[in-house]
Amino acid sequence: MAQANLPADERHAVAPLIWACAAFTGGMLLNVDRVPVWAVAAALALVGWRLATAGGRGWYPGIFVRAVLALALVAVVLAKFHTLNGLAAGTTLLLLMAGLKLLETRTPRDQFVLTGVALFLLLAACLGRQDLWRVPLYALEAWLCCAALVVIACPTLGAGPAFGAGRTLRIAGRALLPAVPLALLLFAFFPRLPGAFWAIPQGEEALTGLGDSMSPGGITRLVASYDIAFRVQFAGSAPAAEERYWRGPVLHDFDGSTWRRAAGALRARQPLTYLGVPYRYRVTLEPSRRPWWFALDTPARSPDTRVLLTYDYQLLATEPVDDAISFEALSYTHTQAAAPLDPAARRQDSALPRSGNPRTRALALTLRRQASTDDAYVQAVLDYLRAGGFVYSLTPEPLGADEVDDLLFRTREGFCGHYASAFVTLMRAADIPARVVTGYLGGEWNPIGGYFVVRQSDAHAWAEVWLAERGWTRVDPTAVVAPERLQRGILDLLTDELSTSERLLRAPWLTRLWQRWDAANTWWANHVIRFDYAAQLRLLQRFGVRSPDARYLGWALMLALCAWLALVTWQIGRSRRPARRDALARSYARLCRKLARIAPPRAPCQGPLSFAAAVSAHRPDLRERVYALLERYAQLRYGPVVPATHARAVEEFRRAVVRLSLPRRSDTQPSS
Amino acid sequence: MVTTSEPAAARRWQPFAPLATAVRAATARWMRRRQGLDHPPVRLERRRIYILPTGVGMAFAGLLFLMLLAGLNYANSLALLLTFLLGAFALVVMQLCHRNLLGTEVTAVSAPPVFAHSTGAVRLSVANRSVAARWRLQASLPQGAPLAVDLPAGEELRLELPLPAPTRGVVRIERLSLATAHPCGLFRAWTWVHAPIEMLVYPRPRGSLPMPTLGGRHVGARMHLEAGTDEWSGLRPFRDGDSSRQVDWKAYAREAPLLVKEYAQESSELRLFDFAALTDPDTEARLSQLARWVVDAEAHGERYGLVLPQLQLSPDRGPEHRHRCLAALALFPDIGRR
Repeated sequence: MAQANLPADERHAVAPLIWACAAFTGGMLLNVDRVPVWAVAAALALVGWRLATAGGRGWYPGIFVRAVLALALVAVVLAKFHTLNGLAAGTTLLLLMAGLKLLETRTPRDQFVLTGVALFLLLAACLGRQDLWRVPLYALEAWLCCAALVVIACPTLGAGPAFGAGRTLRIAGRALLPAVPLALLLFAFFPRLPGAFWAIPQGEEALTGLGDSMSPGGITRLVASYDIAFRVQFAGSAPAAEERYWRGPVLHDFDGSTWRRAAGALRARQPLTYLGVPYRYRVTLEPSRRPWWFALDTPARSPDTRVLLTYDYQLLATEPVDDAISFEALSYTHTQAAAPLDPAARRQDSALPRSGNPRTRALALTLRRQASTDDAYVQAVLDYLRAGGFVYSLTPEPLGADEVDDLLFRTREGFCGHYASAFVTLMRAADIPARVVTGYLGGEWNPIGGYFVVRQSDAHAWAEVWLAERGWTRVDPTAVVAPERLQRGILDLLTDELSTSERLLRAPWLTRLWQRWDAANTWWANHVIRFDYAAQLRLLQRFGVRSPDARYLGWALMLALCAWLALVTWQIGRSRRPARRDALARSYARLCRKLARIAPPRAPCQGPLSFAAAVSAHRPDLRERVYALLERYAQLRYGPVVPATHARAVEEFRRAVVRLSLPRRSDTQPSS
Repeated sequence: MVTTSEPAAARRWQPFAPLATAVRAATARWMRRRQGLDHPPVRLERRRIYILPTGVGMAFAGLLFLMLLAGLNYANSLALLLTFLLGAFALVVMQLCHRNLLGTEVTAVSAPPVFAHSTGAVRLSVANRSVAARWRLQASLPQGAPLAVDLPAGEELRLELPLPAPTRGVVRIERLSLATAHPCGLFRAWTWVHAPIEMLVYPRPRGSLPMPTLGGRHVGARMHLEAGTDEWSGLRPFRDGDSSRQVDWKAYAREAPLLVKEYAQESSELRLFDFAALTDPDTEARLSQLARWVVDAEAHGERYGLVLPQLQLSPDRGPEHRHRCLAALALFPDIGRR
């Protein structure tokens, strides 16, 4: 910085401003992903201008100009966001107003205000994003703000090299470090609210994830995304990779090119008989802005009152997933229908568009005629797909108007969406109820955290067919086209289509590193971000508090606070005390304290002998003893040191001082 | 406890000012009773250090409250963690602020005499015996602006707090305060040092009457020995009360600081300054004239005496004698005890 070579007295005049601006800029940069670029640029320009004129030169706009500027900026923010409420609009406004405040920042008070704004920006950043990797940045910003407060309160500290950065940060750090234990304690035990005071306008940006419709090629967009959809931790054994179908939106309506969820079809669930062992697990969903909760194949019941288990066994929440949500679920991977299919459902899941895909329909009729049962027909279709030279590809040729015909008879290459769509069309053409299920398949095992990570790239589409004996049966046509897909993720499967950097990212050592990082993130998400009212109750129960009483919690907190304060006070005091005096000085101080009980205390100017005289004048009866001790001290302190016996002499002096007991009143005979 | 560090504070609308003044006065009396009189050296102990949040501290508390509400409402863990961290930080800062003052030693307090119509100073020596620096200690007199000082570890510094001396007599200061808001300015710890300070204010040396050589009633006057053979001994900086005739104007014209020619003289003349011999009806003018003569005579190294209605100071010279004479003039018509 240009000001770094200013003389010290000018430096300490501008240092508080520079520190306040640094704290403000830090707060601004933490919000850079939420605030429009022009607002950041404007605020940065204001900071730069203010620093350039920090020496007291330069023109400052008057009150009128500032008022007009402020109104104009409010108008601009309103035009951009249509509201001043909400995190993004509020942060932008705060940023711009603080930038304007810079135009009149002269007194320490203004600098304090600016630092306060920086802390508010830090709060906004915390409210917006809580990722683990951001936490060090937040901590740095908090540290910077505290250091700015230190310099504003004591500008001479900013006169050192680099505006006193070293010692200022040290002072702020020494105050922040002891604060951490108390902050953690309060974090764990400060009473939380079970709900919210007021509703929150949530973030607006779209996130990748499964939609409520699927065109056969649509999933490829997801596959390119390495984002995490959810994490799953199984209690007990986990199903094998080819059994890990995570059910998302179930699609029923087909218009020839796109599959959609059935609009408004609220049916009773088909009664089921569950087969095999249930799987218990905990799913942690990443925010998706969509109402789907993902569960393993067939969930047995709804995990939450806000979530509906639909007739097609999808978990449908009443509100979109805007924050990470964690829930426990119970699923079966094998079921059997306990009742015949409802006629309305049969109609819905056998419907095809009136026209289109004529060759597919013809193929279906041919194959159905050759097959004795529905079951055999399913096998025949799968055999057809297996033997027909079909290729699994992320970048298939575009399809024409009759998409299924085109896929089956011309391009013969496609993706899970294509094959699921074609398979269900073939089923329905043979009048067998079938539906497309979208969701995820597989998931990557994280050995460090002990959970599965399911990514957007694990997105998958498969089919379910109603077979008379078994009910809805999962059939995955992709499995016959590309059997390896069941075992491994798509990205492992299609390494040719990955770019070099993507391939590098999947190097084993990097994967392990990534797994560690993800495990840390998961721990962070489960134990810190989602530490809420319920988690607090669980924690208290672990300490044996069954029904937490606010009063007892308050007392416990007060006690902890006092203990912490005592510790901090002691520690600060210890760090400032001068070095311990030597044994002789300690004994002398003790002797002086003892003598001060019977005579006026020793004045700073008094040496041992004049003190002895003063004490003897006050208490003639103790004259000999006092003189003996004080003369001994003077001799030990100022006389020649005999190295061999000095230590022993000092020790003897100490004992003599300890043994000395002085009668309160001079009721004994005055000596001489 | 108002430091009046900002002139803006005086201009602000303060509806409760009388009440605040009354409370302040009552507090001051209570503290005086509680602490007793101080005789420097004074080590600032716990029982005499007071600490309260400042305006900034209150604003910081408000900020923390808002942060807490936001964190609780949004059930946002990081916001809560930040709030608790800053709250705990403020508590540590409170401790540090207290410690910044605790154990400071006020080793000496004095107020050297000055001439009226000038600004004197209360001299205050503070020592830091700890191993940590004490930053931004602010010393202030009840009505004065605070003087901030950084006190490195193990050092002792002397501060001069300006104290205006408008009229002759005695300026009494009941107490002076030592305060600090370091670090962070969230809390202000302060203490009162009740060392009774009396600053003697000499009359302003003024008047143009010629110095009575043997004039007035000169008792036992002796003729001067070596008239006009003063030996020039050197220059020294101008001090208030110096005669304009002694200023080295030539040097001043050469842009040198205002210097005064000093003459080393052996006692050359004996003078006696008599209050009654002056005819000016205004007592203050007479005292000013006497002060002028005393200052001049001392500067010339002459022996001089002072005759006041109730007090006679026999001729002598030297700084002590000068002080005795000027003090008598300052305290007039009381009989000088100094």
